[in-house]
Amino acid sequence: MTETVDRRRLLTNAVVGSAALAGATALGSLAPEAAFAAGDQAIEPGAPDPNFAEGRITGISAGMLFVTGSDMALWRIRITGGTSIWKLRPTTFDQVAVGDGLYARGLRLPDGTLAADSVWVNIVNVHAHIAAIGRNLLHLDHKGKRIVGHLVPGTSAARYNNTPAVSDMSMLRVGKHVQVIGAWVPDTNEVEIATVYAAA
Amino acid sequence: MISWIAPLQPLLLGLVLLWSARLKLLSPHAAAAAGRSALARLVGDERALPTYRLVGVVEAALGLVLLAPPTLPAEALAAAALSLGFTGYLVYARLAAPESSCGCLSATRTPVRWRSFARTGGLLAASLLALPATVGWFDVLRTRPLPAVALLLAEAALLVALSPELDRHWLDPLRQLKVQVTRPLPAGGFDVPLDSTVEQLHRSPVWRETAVLLTSDLREHWDDDGWRILVFTARHFGQEVSAVYAVPRLRYRPAAVRVVLIDEPTGRVVLSLESPPDSPEPDWVRPSPSPAAAAA
Repeated sequence: MTETVDRRRLLTNAVVGSAALAGATALGSLAPEAAFAAGDQAIEPGAPDPNFAEGRITGISAGMLFVTGSDMALWRIRITGGTSIWKLRPTTFDQVAVGDGLYARGLRLPDGTLAADSVWVNIVNVHAHIAAIGRNLLHLDHKGKRIVGHLVPGTSAARYNNTPAVSDMSMLRVGKHVQVIGAWVPDTNEVEIATVYAAA
Repeated sequence: MISWIAPLQPLLLGLVLLWSARLKLLSPHAAAAAGRSALARLVGDERALPTYRLVGVVEAALGLVLLAPPTLPAEALAAAALSLGFTGYLVYARLAAPESSCGCLSATRTPVRWRSFARTGGLLAASLLALPATVGWFDVLRTRPLPAVALLLAEAALLVALSPELDRHWLDPLRQLKVQVTRPLPAGGFDVPLDSTVEQLHRSPVWRETAVLLTSDLREHWDDDGWRILVFTARHFGQEVSAVYAVPRLRYRPAAVRVVLIDEPTGRVVLSLESPPDSPEPDWVRPSPSPAAAAA
């Protein structure tokens, strides 16, 4: 815990603690080679992207996720210190559980594992109508099927008419169309809502 | 009792059938409704609309016959047969094309669920109830107006409640009213959601210059006084570093966003960047001859 605090202190000081820098690139270089030094792997048109994986997690061991894709492909996904993990919010490796679904993007290594840059766990994107509203609940009608959306206080945000997100959910209306980005609760028809897009 | 209830049923059935036929024969959305219904699956896409119209003609004809004076048991039997036919159609739709629309009373897309079955069951019951009728509905309305109107209204209300396509006219407003009274959703405090900060970051000059270096999504974030710190992974000259952005937390000032790229194991800063300060006013705001000089 203190390690985390110290590290955060260090990083905070590095970005805001230093004296205000005047120029646009005061330190270091932004030459194009900085971005493209690694070089992109060319992918054949129509071929599956080797650097992308999706599926359900069937096993977890130290730093590694074992995933079965929807096409039954088996994936080994390596999680490193530089991997971002999203599960309703940016989170850590220990929050990932067997049974979760995921999308991962990274770099395919020669040993067949995917070294993940980013992992999105249980993420769903749903266009639906609000059928009813309960206490911190949105009952969504998705093509005639019911989805229960849980609002998570402190995390869920609403964007009305594409303006910046706010935590005020009170402008959601029964019968209106919404788009929901959220985290699916595995093997249920329930999602926890990260962002709901609506017209106000 | 049954002597006055039975003759009222043809009136109800006739009105429902005419309402249903109106959609199939007169509505401009009939073609779309037919295409969405299970008829397209049953008889083929090209024949869906003619079949749909044909069902409408049968409904209209039977509706008019039910409403017209001589009350015959055959009419009630025909209505019962039609209701049975509808039930069969619903079963087919539920099994063969569960995603299709009912296409029953309105062009609104309404998948077949238990309420559609209950409504057809209700129509079948009304048809059977009408069998013993001997007098016309007009006579009953004249002799016992109050109970007759009350019964018809109750039956109509039941049919409306069993019609999913009519929900938006009564159920949605009721639920909205409940929401307005009970206020079940958080109205939100003054805390700024993470999404809002990320969007401010995306609109900053610093992001435009450095986003191409990033390899990961948002990894970590925390608040520090007036700043919210967002950490990504970046690649700089082939080296994996952390991109640490500081975004104003309670203000909207994308130009104030700063970033450092830092090699975390060593703590070495490899790039530090903030946008040049905004010029307070564009040049054309300044008056070219100063007012004081003009006065002198």
